Amino acid sequence: MNLRRTGAISLRILQQFRHDRRTLMLLFGVPIILLGLFYFLTGAGSGLPAVDVVNQDHGPMGAIVVADLSRSSEITVTETTATRAESDLSADTVAAFVVLPPDLSARALSDAVIAPTVHLEGTQPALTQPVLLALDQSVTRASTSLAATEGVRVPVLEPTLDYLHGGPGLDTLDYFGGAFIGLVVFLLVFVVSIIAFLRERSQGTLERLMASPLGRADIVVGYIGGFMVVAALQAVEVVVFTLYALHVHNQGNVALIVLLTLLMTLVAVNLAIFLSMFATTEFQAVQFIPLTIVPQVLLSGIIFPITTEPGWLQVVSRLLPLTYGVDGLRDVMLKGDAITSGPLLIDLAVVVAFALALIGAATATLRSNAS
Amino acid sequence: MTDQRPAVSVEGLTKTFGPIRALDGVSLTVGAGEIYGLLGPNGAGKTTLIRSLVGLVTADAGTVTVLGRRLPDRAILADVGYMPQAPALYADLTAEENVRFFASVHELDRHRGARSAADALALVDLTSRRGSVVATLSGGMRQRLSLACALVHRPRLLLLDEPTVGVDPQLRTELWQRFATMSDEGTTIIVSSHVMDEAERCGRLGLVRYGRMLAEGTSTELRRLAGVERLEDAFLVLSEGRS
Repeated sequence: MNLRRTGAISLRILQQFRHDRRTLMLLFGVPIILLGLFYFLTGAGSGLPAVDVVNQDHGPMGAIVVADLSRSSEITVTETTATRAESDLSADTVAAFVVLPPDLSARALSDAVIAPTVHLEGTQPALTQPVLLALDQSVTRASTSLAATEGVRVPVLEPTLDYLHGGPGLDTLDYFGGAFIGLVVFLLVFVVSIIAFLRERSQGTLERLMASPLGRADIVVGYIGGFMVVAALQAVEVVVFTLYALHVHNQGNVALIVLLTLLMTLVAVNLAIFLSMFATTEFQAVQFIPLTIVPQVLLSGIIFPITTEPGWLQVVSRLLPLTYGVDGLRDVMLKGDAITSGPLLIDLAVVVAFALALIGAATATLRSNAS
Repeated sequence: MTDQRPAVSVEGLTKTFGPIRALDGVSLTVGAGEIYGLLGPNGAGKTTLIRSLVGLVTADAGTVTVLGRRLPDRAILADVGYMPQAPALYADLTAEENVRFFASVHELDRHRGARSAADALALVDLTSRRGSVVATLSGGMRQRLSLACALVHRPRLLLLDEPTVGVDPQLRTELWQRFATMSDEGTTIIVSSHVMDEAERCGRLGLVRYGRMLAEGTSTELRRLAGVERLEDAFLVLSEGRS
């Protein structure tokens, strides 16, 4: 090994970095962005799941549990009526509501059992665990103090769980299956199309097409046509595999799942054409993956529920197409929503709007490519 | 052939890229069926001029009229063939698939496209390699294939940006003979080059430097104008005189 020659290589690599500001920004900027996102999603920055409490207890126990729950570090509690709580849950504004029954105190004293009913929304496991944990902590503290004053045994918590959607039979795969269909298809189609379109630019054939009678819209629609044939096959394969080989829980119409998946690929193809404008090499195109995909994975509600994000981050989440694709897939697969369902129609409409906006943007960037 | 209008008419074309003035008030008229050579060193503005004839460059000032139509006019591009400097081909398709793709882009139907593609491949002597994937072809073969893609739809105006780079002398001679035949049949050809012996084969020449048209004329006229024997010297004399 010759130190001078080896050093020349190292020096050249540093020179190349100096000329490639974008890579430097990626190396030094993106970790800060992603770690910051993690902080806000999981740590001090994130909000707590909202929970309604309905206290029907005739005895003293209910009030003590409610007071303790309201100081919980796991959930944010609002005391309300049963009717109100039910409408909150179906409107998705709370993750759960807890009903403390009329005989709560009585049974605690006689049977040493505390039996509240917990009504869970059921589609987001990340929201279910904190509710049960907080309830357990509060009940333990409340009953311990009660037991001390009344001189009886410490009661055990035996909650009845009621799921609005899904149920105890669902496992992690069921919760994440739908979201992952959207993610996997979106990611793969995005990567393949951005590389394909960048090659079209870098090998000079795009310029050749621009020098032909083809219009910009012809090129974009042609790309969509070609990719959608493959994407349609891929969507069918992914959905069939997920539902029939992995037996992921599905309550809705399979055609709706395929439709949503196809719309996600339409968004992915056009996002790729649009972003390929901002890359000059395939290397730079690959850099778009951590920049566009990773934040979407973190912010689209796949893992971290959007409702517990800090307010400003929820705004960001609402600006990402994957958020609506994931939400739509969960509506269909976990809630069994039909095409007539309002929330699903909104998700579909937003994804279509994203697709159309990106088709427009992709067509427009072709224009500025011809200087 | 009977069309009396010029195939190409450029007036006062100016284009700047940042601080660089690529074209500086270029005017040019090329008659139908002419072979017109754009001559000049690297960076003179030849490529920018050719690209502006197919609407790839939006000029800051000046007008471009191609086959009687003022640009921008996408429809007229169906009658124009453009061969960029670097062979722009789909590396993962075969030679024939490339040519047939460009045939269909120019709206040739399947049947005509197949026949024209076969003709174009024969013209550039690639018939035996028509099934080969482009990535396996040599540099010179790719250059020839790129030419085939530019003329597969039998354009009335053919724009060639340094078409014979990397092509061996024998094939180069054949190609120039073929250009002459096409010109006789009425095709207008504008070709850029910095190779002087190719320039001798053009009907008329334009000397381009610093984005300006320094002189125009036949090879003989230019040599006489400069008072020298060789075209190369004429180019040097004429460009010094004006810059």
